[in-house]
Amino acid sequence: MDTILKIPIRIIKEQELVIGPLAWDEAGKVSGLVISQKHDSVSFSGDSKDIINRLVAQYERLFGKASRAVCHDAVQDLIVNMSPEEIPSSLK
Amino acid sequence: MITDDKNSIAPEEYKRVTEAMYKQNLELARLYKEVDSLNKDLQQLIQQRESLEHLITHKVKGSFTHTKYIFSEILQGSYGAITPELKRMAELGLDSDEMGVRTVDLILNASNLQKGTVKYDIKPVDMKLIVLEEVNHKKDLMDSKGLKLETEIKDENYLVNGDIFWLKEVVNNLIENSLNYTKEGKITVSLYKKNKKILFSVKDTGIGISPEDKNNLFTEGGRGKESVKTNVNSTGYGLYSVKLIVEAHHGRVWVESEGPGKGADFFVELDAIEN
Repeated sequence: MDTILKIPIRIIKEQELVIGPLAWDEAGKVSGLVISQKHDSVSFSGDSKDIINRLVAQYERLFGKASRAVCHDAVQDLIVNMSPEEIPSSLK
Repeated sequence: MITDDKNSIAPEEYKRVTEAMYKQNLELARLYKEVDSLNKDLQQLIQQRESLEHLITHKVKGSFTHTKYIFSEILQGSYGAITPELKRMAELGLDSDEMGVRTVDLILNASNLQKGTVKYDIKPVDMKLIVLEEVNHKKDLMDSKGLKLETEIKDENYLVNGDIFWLKEVVNNLIENSLNYTKEGKITVSLYKKNKKILFSVKDTGIGISPEDKNNLFTEGGRGKESVKTNVNSTGYGLYSVKLIVEAHHGRVWVESEGPGKGADFFVELDAIEN
């Protein structure tokens, strides 16, 4: 699986640890993000970086900066192998 | 969001509360991860401990048993005639090995009792028979130490529901414990029946117990500060095993002592089987 496809799942699961199933509900509201029924994979309908930025913003809008830090920390080991231009701006 | 005018919450306030709640949840999630990590470490330690116990069972106990066999064969003359000096040394070696096997068994028993892997065979058991048998086994040792042994058992029904093997362990452990910590005087072993309970007690004129030591006497590896001076072979697992066995029989165990130098009185209380 491409690293970029792993990022949303990693973020949502980390948010789930903090806010519970609401994390999946909020992720479902992000346009262009399609989540599998088993909650184990995603696909993008549009620009992947934009969609991830919207996912991060969705949590931040509700829960503030602390939630952005959670998203950022959750994917550190994934983005370390990505080139700077591949990394969504919200996670830099 | 609440829409009643009187109780409505401004969007800023709502966001502030939501963010504060998120931060609290975040802290809980962090603590959860910490506990989860500690739990994993604990599981690993338990596995290491079990592995160590396996080693003790198969290696250390096996080695003791092997040398025990060698000393026995020497004493029986299987390797030819032996000098009095060699006989004395072989006897010392045999005693030492037996002590080693007993210590290993004690620790392994405590571990199995703690893990709950012991299957108790619960049947009506006569505590009087157990106590008299164990007292009889200890008579020679008592005599060799110059200790007086008294038994106080009234003519009563002392039936309890229990596992005979493990109840013998309890009685044996408590009498042996008093023997180890009593240099002079006497040991009184009693059995009473009171209020549908059977009360077994071992009272000694030994080194006594300080209030501080009482607290950790029945804990794993728990020993009194003064105990090792009197009994260098103390493992701290004997009384712990007694507690686990008695509690598995829904009973109580405790000790009373007026302090150091004033002896101790150990009690075990079990439910009596009514006629």
